[in-house]
Amino acid sequence: MRDEQTTYWLPRAALDRLIRMLAQDGYEVVGPTIDQSAIVYGSIESVADLPVGWTDRQAPGEYRLEERGDDRMFGFVVGPHSWKKYLFPADELVASAGRAGDSWQFTTPDFVPRKYAFLGVRACELAAIGVQDRVFLGGPYVDPLYRARRDAVLLIAVNCTQAAATCFCTSMNTGPRCERGFDLALTELDEGFTVECGSDRGKDILGRLTADGVPTVADMDQLQAAESARAQAVTQITRRMDTDGLRELLLGNLESPRWDSIAERCLSCTNCTMVCPTCFCSTVTEVEELTQVDRRRHWDSCFNIDFSRVNGNPSRNSIAGRYRQWLTHKLATWHDQFGTSGCVGCGRCITWCPPGIDLTEEVAELRTISRLRNSADHVSESEDSLEGIQ
Amino acid sequence: MSLDAPNLLRMLHSTRFAEGLPHIELTSLARAARVVEVGSGTVLFREGQVEDAVFVVFSGHVRLSMKVPGRGEVTLLTAGPGDLVGWSGLISDGVMTATATVMDSARLIALSGRALQQLCESDPKLGYVLMKRMAQVISRRLLSTRLQLLDLFADAAELEAKAKQGAVR
Amino acid sequence: MTGDGGVSCTTPPADPWRQHAARIRRVIQELPGVATYELVPESGVGSNAGSGLWPFRAGQFNMLYLPGIGESAISISGNPDQIDVIPHTVRQAGNVTNSLAKLREGDVLGLRGPFGSSWPIERCAGHDVVLVAGGIGLAPLRPAIYHLLANRVGYGELTLIVGSREPRLLLYPGEYDSWRAAGLNVITTVDRADDGWKGSVGVVTAVLDRLWIRDPVRTLVFTCGPEVMMWYVMRTAASRGVPADALYLSLERNMNCAVAFCGHCQFGPYFLCREGPVLSFERVRHLLRVENL
Repeated sequence: MRDEQTTYWLPRAALDRLIRMLAQDGYEVVGPTIDQSAIVYGSIESVADLPVGWTDRQAPGEYRLEERGDDRMFGFVVGPHSWKKYLFPADELVASAGRAGDSWQFTTPDFVPRKYAFLGVRACELAAIGVQDRVFLGGPYVDPLYRARRDAVLLIAVNCTQAAATCFCTSMNTGPRCERGFDLALTELDEGFTVECGSDRGKDILGRLTADGVPTVADMDQLQAAESARAQAVTQITRRMDTDGLRELLLGNLESPRWDSIAERCLSCTNCTMVCPTCFCSTVTEVEELTQVDRRRHWDSCFNIDFSRVNGNPSRNSIAGRYRQWLTHKLATWHDQFGTSGCVGCGRCITWCPPGIDLTEEVAELRTISRLRNSADHVSESEDSLEGIQ
Repeated sequence: MSLDAPNLLRMLHSTRFAEGLPHIELTSLARAARVVEVGSGTVLFREGQVEDAVFVVFSGHVRLSMKVPGRGEVTLLTAGPGDLVGWSGLISDGVMTATATVMDSARLIALSGRALQQLCESDPKLGYVLMKRMAQVISRRLLSTRLQLLDLFADAAELEAKAKQGAVR
Repeated sequence: MTGDGGVSCTTPPADPWRQHAARIRRVIQELPGVATYELVPESGVGSNAGSGLWPFRAGQFNMLYLPGIGESAISISGNPDQIDVIPHTVRQAGNVTNSLAKLREGDVLGLRGPFGSSWPIERCAGHDVVLVAGGIGLAPLRPAIYHLLANRVGYGELTLIVGSREPRLLLYPGEYDSWRAAGLNVITTVDRADDGWKGSVGVVTAVLDRLWIRDPVRTLVFTCGPEVMMWYVMRTAASRGVPADALYLSLERNMNCAVAFCGHCQFGPYFLCREGPVLSFERVRHLLRVENL
């Protein structure tokens, strides 16, 4: 929780010292870095690995990098990677079976998780981590693999000082301000960073960066500059999703013609589910090794035709059905399952969709169509009699 | 078997067929009805023959079958208490589309198709009530027939066929 | 022991991915392509705290694991009061079940579970219960039958309507008479008869439609079978006045993790491995009507 009392100050040069200190503490520092013309998450050994002086230009189906003309280290928003690649890896061992005479020896991995320090977590991403926490930790079954990784991770958040054209975190109440769930939260200014501590661990780290162990307090000018910088992120957000009654809207329009219209554009390519920071669908398959059989879990997608089957046949046999499943799960039934929306407004699915399908637009269209039509999905009470059967 | 009018009315009233029918119309129907008791194996009517009676099963079961050259008598359906069989006497020309054989001793309420038709002609309200009920009965029978047609347990049969070919085990 | 009264006897395992070894004690070939595997969980580390016992509730399923092939969700079809040997009835329908069919007595496989929701037996006290089973749908209902009959005095009229394609394909036919003797009214019906068949011909809904129901509001209906069949069983029962929240069905989708992590078995808002497979008609009525859901 953000310490309301004190905001601290970190000079620019100290960031590199922070990265090296964390490495010495045994953390693998990962953060934004440029690879194949995109800002992705990878190993950060020094600030030189960060996308210094770069920004991203995003639009439905479009992503490109541009030089900023300054030295900002975090002057962009989010790219195709999300932190789920570390907390919920795309491929991992969940169990093994080894032959033991005429029987089997079943084991689960006794692994020590890699200690990550996430550098540069955005508010929407903090929210997304919170959403996946509920999926893997919040129910009657707890995933011990996710638990171990989650307990070990250090979260250094960064407040956005700009927004992409695809961002809509304000509509989802997830940003752009980092409110909770971090160890440290930085706001970048030209000379350095204002820093808020969200945990004792964060405060301790900050203290260790100063000569006398006491973190420097930010002055009024720095506080105001940071406030202005964060306000810029808010004003730059232009995309909106109307979430009023959204769950009921979607569940009440499962037979809207809009789904077919989306299906004419959707390729069922699974990009959106891969880049989405909250999507969690997976499949466990067998991998035969020399002396044992491993069970490995890997990312899957509800857009794959074979993902859901009844009696061996695909149960969502149309792209319209699969897109509907994804969107109604993300924005409607996620509430039933986890008590929150599944969407954090990061806009990745809009940017990385080849035909540029924009869910905020689709929701608006569904709403418009719904208002114009009588919903055929409401079952009347009198339906429960055989007279209705043809 | 002869039953006095109130008892026959009471019997008819207790069947699922008559459920919810207005008392006045039910009384009229009862006047065209009589009770028959039949033993196991009795053929109520034959496919292709003209039959006047429409039967409401009160107790026991009746098997409906059709003759298929090369396959003999094929059982389609079992009718039980509350079910109606032989409606061709009322709905169409009285030519039966199936053979009805009593399975275990049955007590049936037989209604004369011709008498019912005359009643309906002279009493439109009764006609409407009766035809509406007939439509519901036939609709339910149609649903059952469709479900049989869908062969919903087909997987089991396919597996059996495969087993016979030795493809399984 | 059986979770009656809504008390859960099955607490979620600390490690949901952990397999327990189980040995095949007996294989019963029920029908062509349908077999019952009686499994004995091995005692020792990791198997229900080493007890070798496997408490479960009627309607739940286990994941059976064949290393190198995969897992399959299989209905537990035995008596919830006998938890040392656990019968699973399964139809051969894919890689795992086909490979399972090649196993013999003494072979060891992996077991995870039990998973899923169960038939609400605790609601049946003092009520009439109608069970409607189609084909292999009788498998997950059999545990409910055993439990109801073991405590017969607690329940009113108990009826089982069991349907299959043909007389030879009725499941567990050898048990019907003992169930009748114990107070279950067993009505069998087939889609098509053979020459020797003296029983009912027609779909289960037709039998249900004319079944004497003493008091619809004190009746519960449990059904399992092909989805189309279950839909019309529910409609028929509702038309007889049984309230929608007293109608229960067991739905099926492919399972992968069985612990609501992987997303495969989702049906509307429900994870069929957790909120299901047993759900009330009231909760799923609107969903079953939607194509490609």
